[in-house]
Amino acid sequence: MQSAFYKRGVLVTVSLLSSVYRWRSAMSVTFRVQLYFFLLSLSALKGHSRYLEENEITPEGLFSLLNSELKRELPEDFIYRRPLRCLDMVATEGQFTFTADRPHLNCAAFFIGEPNEIISIEYNNVNIDCDGGDFIKVFDGWVMKGQKFPSSQDHPLPLYERYVDFCETGSVRRVVRSSQNVAMIFFRIQNARSGFSITVRKLINPYPCNIISQTPEGSFTMVIPQQHKNCSFSIIYPVEIQIAELSLGHFKDFPVKRAVPGCAGAGDFVELLGGNGVDTSKMFPVADLCYSFSGPAQMKIGCENTVVRMVSSGKFVNRVAFQYRLLDRNELQKIKGNNVEDFCFTE
Amino acid sequence: MKLAFLVFSIILLVAFLPRYECRAIETPGAVQAASAPQSGLQKQSLPILLRLGEEFFFRLGNANQNPPVFMSPDRSSTTVKRALQLQLTQRLLQGKVGNIRRFVSSYADQLDDSMERGKRGDDPPISLDLTFHLLREVLEMARAEQLAQQAHSNRKMMDIFGK
Repeated sequence: MQSAFYKRGVLVTVSLLSSVYRWRSAMSVTFRVQLYFFLLSLSALKGHSRYLEENEITPEGLFSLLNSELKRELPEDFIYRRPLRCLDMVATEGQFTFTADRPHLNCAAFFIGEPNEIISIEYNNVNIDCDGGDFIKVFDGWVMKGQKFPSSQDHPLPLYERYVDFCETGSVRRVVRSSQNVAMIFFRIQNARSGFSITVRKLINPYPCNIISQTPEGSFTMVIPQQHKNCSFSIIYPVEIQIAELSLGHFKDFPVKRAVPGCAGAGDFVELLGGNGVDTSKMFPVADLCYSFSGPAQMKIGCENTVVRMVSSGKFVNRVAFQYRLLDRNELQKIKGNNVEDFCFTE
Repeated sequence: MKLAFLVFSIILLVAFLPRYECRAIETPGAVQAASAPQSGLQKQSLPILLRLGEEFFFRLGNANQNPPVFMSPDRSSTTVKRALQLQLTQRLLQGKVGNIRRFVSSYADQLDDSMERGKRGDDPPISLDLTFHLLREVLEMARAEQLAQQAHSNRKMMDIFGK
């Protein structure tokens, strides 16, 4: 039926156009404008409509964040469910339930997402004895051996605000959101048959800062759009990093001869760090890059943790594109043999 | 004409407005004033636009000395109180007094909070002792689970929408 209507419309349009062409000189300007408008609206009737879905978080579009959470409420049978273990790592969305069969004093679960995602944890049913010493704490980041990622220098919140205790704030704050793609939960449950249930969701973060890579191989482009912050990309493997492109500052700025050798005093630079902990402030700088360049520059870092960290003053849009691959045992041994230093082996 | 007069008077007022804040400027002449508070004031080489209270504060601010606090009956009690408060704050900052929390003064409190946080610093209260090797193992398990889950949900979607 719609096509018949359309065909009629097309016929009318064509006939009108031909008559307009013949009588162009005879008609007044206003009449011509009205006629063209009528013809235009006729042709617009045939246009396809599109449902545009906005799924980026922007400062103006904060409501879209709420909407995106609501939109992603899948029907019940589509939610992934499984029990949570005392030591666990969760990389998927879903509902995770921990039920204690015996007292568990020190448990932790790590959450990790894609680099451009942030983790949202919602308490569903919590049945613990807060007064008896049970607790559930969500930490914004990862903590390992007394070191935390992201470090205090790179994280917007002070340390005590990064821990959210259910016993203190649970009734008010049922959803806790991380600032980067990793989060973790510490819990202690002393009575059998107590437990809790959480729903993990992932939200999109358009300018990710502070990322832990899920895989030992991959590639990433980190962009800091005129913000005064420091961002780290952490790979918890010994890898070879190949920097494909580094763009610091405005495109037209060419590197000026620096009075001081090295990158001391530069407001915008990229550093490669290596170390044996997750805290980037306690790792050793292996290389400093403060000139824009394109063309691969590679470095093998034989440490447990390899980090690409960008320091940004906020005056420019800074971008670094790199890829990384796991070092195999032969390469690791070669690096180890070539270096006298003990902390970590780099080449 | 009127406007110019108004502006000029405002400038004068602002420039010579009495200030109640304390300035931590050390003056060498301040130590000698301890002995003769009243007459010494005029003889000291202090800035002209100085109030009694401020001169008192300068003496307190003099590095690491503990000059006796002069309670002249002519001075207003609020000035004296403020001076005592500031001396106390200075001592707290130097760590000479034991329990900081006893003294409730807004100025001292603000300083104290930021200092405490700095000292407590970077040690996370709860941590997990896990080796990197174990962390990688658990990460790889989680990754495998994620891929399996993604494949499963894709298959489910295909089943529903492919009909």
